[in-house]
Amino acid sequence: MNALLIAVPALPLAGALFVALTGWKLRGLSHWPIVLTIAASFLCSLGVLNHVREEVAKNQALADSDPAKTVGFEMVAPIWTWLDIPDAYQSNQPLNTPGGKTVTTAPLHIDVVLRADALTAIMLCMVTFISTLVAIYAAGYMHGDRSYWRFFVYIGLFVFSMTMLVSVSNFVLLFCFWEAVGACSYLLIGFWYQKPEAAAAGKKALLVNRVGDFGLALALFLIWTNYGTLDYHDPVEGGQSVVAGVLGQTRLANPDLFVHGGVAVAICALLFVGCCGKSAQFPLHVWLPDAMEGPTPVSALIHAATMVTAGVYLVTRCTPLFMAAGAEPLFMVGDSPFTAQMLVAVIGGFTALLAGLIALTQTDLKRVLAYSTVSQLGYMFLALGTGSSLGIVAGMFHLFTHAFFKALLFLGSGSVMHAMGHVIDMRQFSGLRKIMPITHATFLIGCLALAGLFPFAGFWSKDEILASLHERSHAHPVATEQAALQIDSSKQASIDRDGYQHVALLSEETPHKHPHAAHNPAFDTTFSHGLYGFLYYLAVGCAGLTAFYTFRAFYMTFYGELKVPAAAGDHAHESPASMTTPLVVLAVCAVFVGMVFGFPTHAFSDLLTQTPSLAYKTIADTAVEPEFHVDVAFWGTVVALIGIALASYLYLGDRKEAAAIAKASGPLYDLSLGKFFIDQLYLVVFVFPLLVLAYLCYAVDRFLIDGAVNTVGAIPVAAGKTMRLLQNGMVQFYALAMVLGLIVLVWGIAIYGS
Amino acid sequence: MNELALLHNSLLIGALLFGLGMAGFLARRNMIIMFLCAEMMLQGIAVSLIAWGRYHNDWGGQMLVIMILTVAACEAGLALALIVMLYQRTGRLDIAAWSEIREESLPAYQDVELDEFTAETQVWPKLTTAGVLPDVDPSVDEPGGHRGQL
Repeated sequence: MNALLIAVPALPLAGALFVALTGWKLRGLSHWPIVLTIAASFLCSLGVLNHVREEVAKNQALADSDPAKTVGFEMVAPIWTWLDIPDAYQSNQPLNTPGGKTVTTAPLHIDVVLRADALTAIMLCMVTFISTLVAIYAAGYMHGDRSYWRFFVYIGLFVFSMTMLVSVSNFVLLFCFWEAVGACSYLLIGFWYQKPEAAAAGKKALLVNRVGDFGLALALFLIWTNYGTLDYHDPVEGGQSVVAGVLGQTRLANPDLFVHGGVAVAICALLFVGCCGKSAQFPLHVWLPDAMEGPTPVSALIHAATMVTAGVYLVTRCTPLFMAAGAEPLFMVGDSPFTAQMLVAVIGGFTALLAGLIALTQTDLKRVLAYSTVSQLGYMFLALGTGSSLGIVAGMFHLFTHAFFKALLFLGSGSVMHAMGHVIDMRQFSGLRKIMPITHATFLIGCLALAGLFPFAGFWSKDEILASLHERSHAHPVATEQAALQIDSSKQASIDRDGYQHVALLSEETPHKHPHAAHNPAFDTTFSHGLYGFLYYLAVGCAGLTAFYTFRAFYMTFYGELKVPAAAGDHAHESPASMTTPLVVLAVCAVFVGMVFGFPTHAFSDLLTQTPSLAYKTIADTAVEPEFHVDVAFWGTVVALIGIALASYLYLGDRKEAAAIAKASGPLYDLSLGKFFIDQLYLVVFVFPLLVLAYLCYAVDRFLIDGAVNTVGAIPVAAGKTMRLLQNGMVQFYALAMVLGLIVLVWGIAIYGS
Repeated sequence: MNELALLHNSLLIGALLFGLGMAGFLARRNMIIMFLCAEMMLQGIAVSLIAWGRYHNDWGGQMLVIMILTVAACEAGLALALIVMLYQRTGRLDIAAWSEIREESLPAYQDVELDEFTAETQVWPKLTTAGVLPDVDPSVDEPGGHRGQL
C-alpha cells in the first residue's frame, strides 16, 4: 500500500523529468508521457482511497469496541530522512511523547514521510482526476504551441508538487511543496513570457503569494517553538523518545495536549494569512484574476480546481489547532471574543461577497470565472470558519464539487477562446451555441452546478455550507466555546486579553472540567450567533450573485445573434475531440458528483470525518445528525433562481435594461467594473512607495556605494598618473629627487628628531 | 688650534667636498665627470669621518675611511667598465643618451641647441696661427666640431 501512495507523486515527477529531458525530440508527442503518468497516478490514488476506505471501516468496528484506541485512520509511508539534528529544541516546558513520557529536548527531525488519511486520499483522487482531464484537454488546446513540451513538463511538476503537498506529513515539507506549487503556478502564468502582461501577472502572483507565505513561515516557527516538532504524525520509530506529532494520535486522543491560549490564536491567524495568499482571499486576492493570463488549461487546473484550494486543505488539516485556539480572542467585541475561526469566516464571507460583486460587471469571460473562483473559495472558508464538523465537511465538499464544475467552466471558456482566436472579451462574440453545441451544453451544466440548482453538484455542497452556517447561527455553543469555557473557568484568574500567559497552559496539568459550561455567566453567545446569522444571510445573497453573474456570462457568450470576432477567421468551429471529451466527462461529474457523494449517500462526509484531524473528540462532538434543512435548501434555490431569472431577463434577447441599470447605478457600477479599485489602492499604498524605495536603494547603491568603491579604486590610478610624470628617464632628475628626499629627511630629523 | 676648531674646519671641508660633488653630479651629463663627482662626495664623507674620529680619539673613523677607499676603488673599476661599455654602444658619453627607462608616454629629453655650438653664427677671432695646429681627424664630422664630444 505504501508503494501505491509513493507512486502517486512519483509517477508525474518521472513523467515530467522524462519530457524535460526528451521534449526537444518528442515535440508534438510530449503530452503522452504526462497524460499516461498522471492517469496512472490517478489509478494509484483510487487504490489509496480504496485502502483508506477499507481500513476506516475496520477501524470503526474496532473503535466501537474500544473507543479510546485510535482516532480516525492514517497510513504512514516513510521514504527518507532529510534532516536530523539531535536536541535542536530545548525547552523548560515539558513536551509530550507518544509513550506518554515528557521530555525537555527534541531533535529537529524532518522525515520525508507520506501520510494518507481520508482527507489526503480524497484530495489525491480529485487532483489527479482533474489533472488527467486537463492534460488531455491541453493536448488539444496547446496544439502547435512553440513550447508545447515545456508546458507539459510544468504540468507534470505541478501534479507532483500538489500531490506531495497534500500527502506529506511535515509542516516544513508542506511549506516546500506549498512553494513548489507556487513556483509551478508562476511558471505557467508566465508561460507566454514574451507577452509583457503574462510576465507581469506571473510576477504579481509570486509577489502577492510571498506576503501569505511570510505568514505561513511565521506560523511554522511558532509551531516549532511551542510544539517542539513539525511532524503531523506521531513518529513511528520504536524506542526513540520523540515528541508527539502536532496532529498526531497522542494529541488527538487527549486534546488538552494541544497548545492553547494566545500563541494558538497567533498560529492560527498566521496559518490563515498563508491560506489567504494561496487561496486568493481578501486582501491578497488580487493575483488570481491576473493569473488568467496563463493558458486556459492552467487556469482550470491550478487557479480553479487544485492549487488555490491548498489553503482550504491546510485549514481543514489544521482544524485541531483552530479548535485549540478556541474562544481565545484575537480581539474583543464588547464582552465577546472574536476568535480565529470567526476571522476565517468573516474573511471568507467578505471575499465571497466582494468577488461576487466584481464578477457582476466583468466583460472578460475568464475574469468572471476567476472572480467566481475567488468568491467560491470565500464560501469554503466561510464554512470552515464555523468550526463545526458539519461546516468543515461542507467546506471540503464544496472544494470537491467546485473542482469539477469550475474546471468544466474554465475548460469550456478555453474552448470558446480556442475557437474565437484567443479573444475572450464577451462583447466581441455572442450566439455561439449554434457553432459550438458541445461546449454550449457542457457550459450550461457547469453554470447550473455553479449556480447551485437541484440536483447539480453545486447544490449539495452549497446547501451544506448554508446549513452549517444556519446551524451555527442559533445552535447551542459548539465545542470550541465549551473548550474555551473549560479553560476559562479553571484558570479564570489568569485569563486576560493578551494571551501570552497561556502558552502551554494545558500541557502542565489537565484542569478539572466543568461539565456544564453554559452555567458560566461570563459566556455570551449573542455575538457569535449574530455574526454567523449575518454570514448566513450574506452567503445566501452571494448564492444569488453567483447565479446572476454565471448566467450573465453564459447568455452573453452563447445566446443572442451569432457574432464572431475577426481574430477567429474561418476558425470558428467546435473544438477537437481531445478538448470536448474532458468537457463531457467533467459535465457528467458536475451533474452526479453531488448526488453520489453528497447528502443522499453521505459517502463523502462519512469518509472525511474519519480523518484523524476531524475525528477527534473536540470536533466530533460538534457533529450533528445529518438533516436536510428544507427551508435552507428552499431559500438557497429560490435566491439562485431569482439570480438566473434576472440574468435571463436582462441578457437573453435584445434588451436595453442592463445598460440602463448600469447607468442608473453610476458610481456603484464603476466600483464593480473597477474591481473596487483595490489594485489601484495597492498601487498607491504599497507598489509606489516600494518603487520609490527601490529607486532610492538603486541610487544609493549606484552612486554612494559604487561611488565609494570606485573612488577607492581611482586613487591609485590618479596617483599613478601623477607619479609616472616623474619617470622621465633622466638620471640627473632621479639624483635630484634623492637629494631632495635626503634634505627633507635630514631636515625632519633635525627638527623632530631626538 | 684646539680640537673643536679642527673638527669644525675639517667638517666644513668635508661638507664642501660633498656639496661640490653633489652639485657636479646633478649638473653634468658626462658620465666620467659624474663618476668623479660621486667620488668627490665620497671623499667629503671620508674627511668628515676622519675629523670625527680624531675628535673622539677613536680609530674607527680612519678604519671606515680605509674601507670606503677600498669600496670606492672597486666601484671605480666597475663604473669605468660600464662607462666604456655604454660609450661603445652609442659613441657618446652623454648620460641623456640612456633615457629609455622612462614612461612610454613621456617625450625623450631634447637637447636645446645653444647658439654657442652652431658654427654658422659663431664668429671666430681672426688671429695669426700660434704654435702647432691640433691634429684633427677630418673624417670625423661632428656638429659643433670636436667640442661636441665634451
